[in-house]
Amino acid sequence: MPTKRTTAAAAAPATPKSLSSGPKTLTANSSVYEIAHHVWQQYLATTPQRTMLLDAFMAFLVLVGGTQFFYCVVAGNYPFNAFLSGFCAAVGQFVLTASLRMQTSSVSKGKAKDQVVGDGSVSHERAFADYIFGSLILHFFCINFIN
Amino acid sequence: MRWSLSLLLFGFLAVVHALSSSGNRLLVVLEDAAEKDSFSKFWSDLEARGYDLVFESPKSDKLSLFEHGEKAYDHVLLLPPRSKGFGPSLSPKNIIEFMNKDGNVLLALSGKSTTPSAVSSLLLELDFHLSSDRSSIVVDHFNYDTLSATEKHDVLLLQQPGQLRQDTKSFFGGSGVLAFPRASPHTLGGSNPLLTPILRAPTTAYSYNPKEDAASVEDVVATGSQLAVVSAMQARNSARFTLLGSVESLQDAWFDATIKAPGDGKETETANREFAKQLTAWTFKETGVLKVGKIEHHLAQDGDLASVELNPKIYRIKNETVFSIEVSEYNYDQYVPFEVPENDALQLEFTMLSPFHRLDLQPSGKTENSTIYSAKFTVPDQHGIFSFRVNYKRPFLTNIEEKHEVTVRHYAHNEYPRSWKITGGWVWIAGLWSVVGGFLAFVVVWLYSAPTSAAPTTKKTQ
Repeated sequence: MPTKRTTAAAAAPATPKSLSSGPKTLTANSSVYEIAHHVWQQYLATTPQRTMLLDAFMAFLVLVGGTQFFYCVVAGNYPFNAFLSGFCAAVGQFVLTASLRMQTSSVSKGKAKDQVVGDGSVSHERAFADYIFGSLILHFFCINFIN
Repeated sequence: MRWSLSLLLFGFLAVVHALSSSGNRLLVVLEDAAEKDSFSKFWSDLEARGYDLVFESPKSDKLSLFEHGEKAYDHVLLLPPRSKGFGPSLSPKNIIEFMNKDGNVLLALSGKSTTPSAVSSLLLELDFHLSSDRSSIVVDHFNYDTLSATEKHDVLLLQQPGQLRQDTKSFFGGSGVLAFPRASPHTLGGSNPLLTPILRAPTTAYSYNPKEDAASVEDVVATGSQLAVVSAMQARNSARFTLLGSVESLQDAWFDATIKAPGDGKETETANREFAKQLTAWTFKETGVLKVGKIEHHLAQDGDLASVELNPKIYRIKNETVFSIEVSEYNYDQYVPFEVPENDALQLEFTMLSPFHRLDLQPSGKTENSTIYSAKFTVPDQHGIFSFRVNYKRPFLTNIEEKHEVTVRHYAHNEYPRSWKITGGWVWIAGLWSVVGGFLAFVVVWLYSAPTSAAPTTKKTQ
């Protein structure tokens, strides 16, 4: 998610003309707020809906994981297996979701719109099935571990 | 402890009124048969307590401490020899061998004659040290009998020993005064921790060789309470060896002699007879003999103990466990409940290589002739092969060394509390399930959003 933003921000001033949906072009002395706002607008305008859904889910996972870690720091780690499995579920789910995002968004960007397998990349359906499979294993482990 | 029980049974079978806890065959080694009469009260006291006295001269050919490889007597009383030693059958090696087979020895010395080197070497082996000339006596110019030793001051007067240490029982207690005529003193070496002095000379005493001139007073080997008059050693197998410095104190003449301390002391009777009884009773295991009865350990449970398995082979970590041990003490003719001395404690160790618990056992019950000591504790959080140990080794009491092995296992898989039982973990449980729920919601939304949104957005970025 952050990489995506920065590349977009870096690319924005270089090729202002190609960005059709930007609210206004940035100049060299634009304020930080303006840059951030521009980036956000760019993100909203150019990101596919599925990728945005993925980003939203990842933000949710960061929130859940952060809360659990904060609780551990504040309240101690007594049922340590509970902390481990709760926190690792969030982290693992985040990692899996990130891989799904890489697999689905990179194809849509660089390749043709038809979802043909080629050059080591996988189809969206295949990527999603892998994602479901990995997640189920992760949940199975975490639920068992939390007892 | 089984051997002492069987010995006891054997003793009951042999002679009905045998009193010692370890047999009644007593060998008295006496060189001069004429001397025998001067101890008549002492012998009759011993016989009245059930001993089977056998008198032998050390020169006798048929004298042997062993018969068919086993000890022929249970106890030996050695009176000081006149000649060079006790002879071949009573060599230091044989006496040590006798003690290794649980025989008890009472050795009396006399300051009248030089102690033979054979006896001295036996004593050295046990770390008792005599003076180098082996013929010294204890002289005290402040605690002597004014009636019988006005000139020589060689009859030592001592109070009966009370409690010898803060945490021991008083087996030799009393309020009488003891007379030790011409006592041969000894000192205790530092290398044998099993030695215990019973009676030390007073601080004003010193060791003196009457055969030498007065110059020997100038460089004395030991003085004051460095000198011991009566000492004991209890070997690791609980065999007892007692060294009495003055054989004359056992004679009839001193059993009821009248003595008078210097200064304005009153004339009193000696307590020698009582002390001789206490000393022989202790040495020949009539007192201070501990016996372990039933040993039980089980899981702690309130209410009915009937359903609890006794002495299980296996415990789980963090189990509440109760251990109890029954201890009795032999007191002259019967077993009585054993009471731990005031400043002492009978302790239980729960050990794997090193003790994880060392607990004081508290008296929890009493039977007719034993006290039940028990302790309750939580098995440590460590699995392995543990043992309950009671290791009670104290001066004047026979050793208790009990070891009972048990296995300690860890929690079985289904013995842990379920996650929701621990309230502290609810946040993480909620976190886990929100991840799972979020995942499901995401999958549903993803699947529904696929056909409508995928095509236009990809087109747009193109």
